[in-house]
Amino acid sequence: MPPTTFMPTTVEELRDAVAGSATSHPRLLVTAAGTAATTGGRPDPADAIVDTSALSGVLNWTPADMTVSVRAGTPLADVQAELGEHGQHVAFDAARVRRGATVGGLLASGDGGPLRQLYGTLRDLVIGVTVVLGDGTVAKAGGHVIKNVAGYDLAKLFHGSLGTLGVVAEVVLRLHPLPRTTATVALPADAAAAARLGVELIASGTEPAALEWTSGTGLLVRIEGTPDGVHERVDAVLATNTGALVLAGADEEAAWTAVAAVADPHSEGATVLRAGTLPSDGPGFLAALGAAADAAGVTLTSGSSVGVGVHTVALAGGHHEPVLAAAHAAAGSSVSVLRSDGLAPDTPLWGPPPPAVALMRAVKARFDPADRFGAGRLSSWLAPLHEGVPA
Amino acid sequence: MEHSALRAEFVAAIGADAVLDDPVSLRSYECDGLTGFRVVPEFVLLPTDTAQVAAAVAICARHTVPFVARGAGTCLSGGSLPVAEGVVISLQKLRSVLEIDVENRRAVVQPGVTNLDVSKAVAEYGLYFAPDPSSQQVCTIGGNVAENSGGAHCLKYGFTVHHIHEVQVVLPDGAVTTLGAPSPHQPGYDLLGAFVGSEGTLGIVTRITVKLLATPTAVRTLVADFPSVEQAGDTVTGMIASGIVPAAVEMMDALALEAVEASVQAGYSLDTAAALLVELDGPPAEVATQFAEIEQLCKDNGTTKLVIAPTPEARAAMWKGRKAAFAAVGRISPNYFVQDGVVPRTRLAEALVRISEMADEAGLRVANVFHAGDGNLHPLVLYSEQAGEHDRAEHLSTAIAELCVDLGGSLSGEHGIGTDKACSMPRQYSDVDLATMTLLRKAFDPDEICNPGKLLPTPRLCGDRPGPHRAHPLEAAGIIERI
Repeated sequence: MPPTTFMPTTVEELRDAVAGSATSHPRLLVTAAGTAATTGGRPDPADAIVDTSALSGVLNWTPADMTVSVRAGTPLADVQAELGEHGQHVAFDAARVRRGATVGGLLASGDGGPLRQLYGTLRDLVIGVTVVLGDGTVAKAGGHVIKNVAGYDLAKLFHGSLGTLGVVAEVVLRLHPLPRTTATVALPADAAAAARLGVELIASGTEPAALEWTSGTGLLVRIEGTPDGVHERVDAVLATNTGALVLAGADEEAAWTAVAAVADPHSEGATVLRAGTLPSDGPGFLAALGAAADAAGVTLTSGSSVGVGVHTVALAGGHHEPVLAAAHAAAGSSVSVLRSDGLAPDTPLWGPPPPAVALMRAVKARFDPADRFGAGRLSSWLAPLHEGVPA
Repeated sequence: MEHSALRAEFVAAIGADAVLDDPVSLRSYECDGLTGFRVVPEFVLLPTDTAQVAAAVAICARHTVPFVARGAGTCLSGGSLPVAEGVVISLQKLRSVLEIDVENRRAVVQPGVTNLDVSKAVAEYGLYFAPDPSSQQVCTIGGNVAENSGGAHCLKYGFTVHHIHEVQVVLPDGAVTTLGAPSPHQPGYDLLGAFVGSEGTLGIVTRITVKLLATPTAVRTLVADFPSVEQAGDTVTGMIASGIVPAAVEMMDALALEAVEASVQAGYSLDTAAALLVELDGPPAEVATQFAEIEQLCKDNGTTKLVIAPTPEARAAMWKGRKAAFAAVGRISPNYFVQDGVVPRTRLAEALVRISEMADEAGLRVANVFHAGDGNLHPLVLYSEQAGEHDRAEHLSTAIAELCVDLGGSLSGEHGIGTDKACSMPRQYSDVDLATMTLLRKAFDPDEICNPGKLLPTPRLCGDRPGPHRAHPLEAAGIIERI
């Protein structure tokens, strides 16, 4: 029998669904667009699904304040389309956004895209949040102003929570102006050269919005700004490398599509890992994975935000488990599995827990004392909460 | 616990020289930048490294003794106000820059290093630490982490939370852990993000990996006078509408300008209703284009005088005036309160009109200095203690902060809630919101011994019934005093 599905359209309906199901449906799984259904663990069977995709729509947007509040189930792409009418956007471009990922899901999954170089991730852009906890508590933190230090920043706490603390119901985001001009310069480079070039370009004051390397595209440098400002900086980037090429039109589009395809591949059967390292450790990390992949008959497609040290690696063919193990060995708790299609069901998805794992468990125990949310996600780190699972 | 027994434990853990309990020494730690609140602690500890901080905290935890971490003591909201019968743990002896990683643009520093010293230490590599609170010459990085400090340039660059990779923390039970990661990809709850800005209530930072930025290639700064605050505000609206994100946009009204000129002679006009200080930084062509647009916007909005800083020294002078503004008010008023509130930028004009009306009603003067780009107001309520205006001034100051909430903003943009505004928190957040925040507090500090009485309202501090700010019960009881 398929589990019950709650599909609230308002925060009140969401609260009632959660509060009213404490006894009848204790274990809840939060979903929306389902674009991160495989991120961070294999969910345990739940008694009910809380689908927030009908909890959607922009609530409040005053362009001159550069902030927007939205219901969490709103696809970010829809928000961006609306904001674009006034020349604004959320400076965030995770690959899943094209597949309809929602604002709440993107926050809870801690995802990011190439713009993380200049703008960070949603944790850097979220300024307010409304959450619903397992007992029906509806709580707000932050607010509608960008500068605000009143109270604890619970929005950040829910960043990366993968649906294990409660349901994100509403989100307030800071906005940025759409750049007047953007340009992309491609530089032929392997991972090591791309990391070096990244250091040089940042040090020279080029202020790239994105510094994205993939094995297929080489290093892509995205410059944003005024037309003459972009022109000046594109020239500076071209001067660094004789093979550098300005990409325009379909070529530019294709290059960025290729970057997104590494982070969010369409092919079935893929395993996708994301890891963070010191930027200078990136090439070594990818080399270690490459060696493991060669030994296991796996083909890797890799991409890195070289300026900040975030890497996404797609695995195809062969045995994926040794590559994941190599990633855990090299980057420890900074590795997450975005897709696990190619991994045996009993493969441990999480590496060694971070030093603050005890705090993570304490937060989980306080916010979700009845352990209603997200069983199976972050499971080996949160494990001691679950009966019968060893610490 | 018996004083002498506790003393013996501290001495055994960190040495006799590091344990202060003579009345004269204790008195010098009785308040922070919010000098109206004073509490003499039972001990002041001066640990020299993480292990000593952890040992001191572990002793506090074992005996459930409250402790308060302290950097330079510049907090304007009483965030480092000592707790009676509690311990102050000063981080002043942890003041080394431990590591500079130029390639990865980061540095590892101890919490007692001043904000400006971080930038000075890395300047030779073309790098700097972006958050720049006005007190940056003296305030410490540890304090910046606790308060999520901003500064004049946070419109473009964000706050401290955007510039920290990792922190080593001594938790309220004395355990040492690390929050954050070397890159922005850190799976699991963003505990670092929740910790930064927690006002010292979740633990004590003992080591901080700060993010450094490349020094901008070009910087241009102007000061423009306007016949009215509205025209200055419209100029800022024009910038935002045309998609310009200046590094800084500061506004000062006539009274603030008068104070600054009386104090530091920064070259501001004395015959204007408002002045804007605008700074752009970034790649040269970018800055040149947008700077020309801003000049035009100033003219379109009726600027009466526009001065562009011709040299870095001239720019520094402009900033010296702005950064000295709080202290400068002392030149035109015997006493003053510094307020810190935020309104949505579109409600700035409304807020200023209301503040002016409220000041008239109270028969007091209010000088306004603010970060116009993000609606962060710093009204300075001028009053005379001698003339018996204290209570009226304090009431007006609190009313202004609460007005900000009523206009859809926040009680604080950067100075923090601390002791000062804890009892106003119910104005901004519901009981349920505050109870949910308390869940985070309890996850880190179940016994609530880490900087108790700050940030969140408690019945002890605010009475059983949450509501508008009232006289502090500790004050009424004679435990704390105002000067």
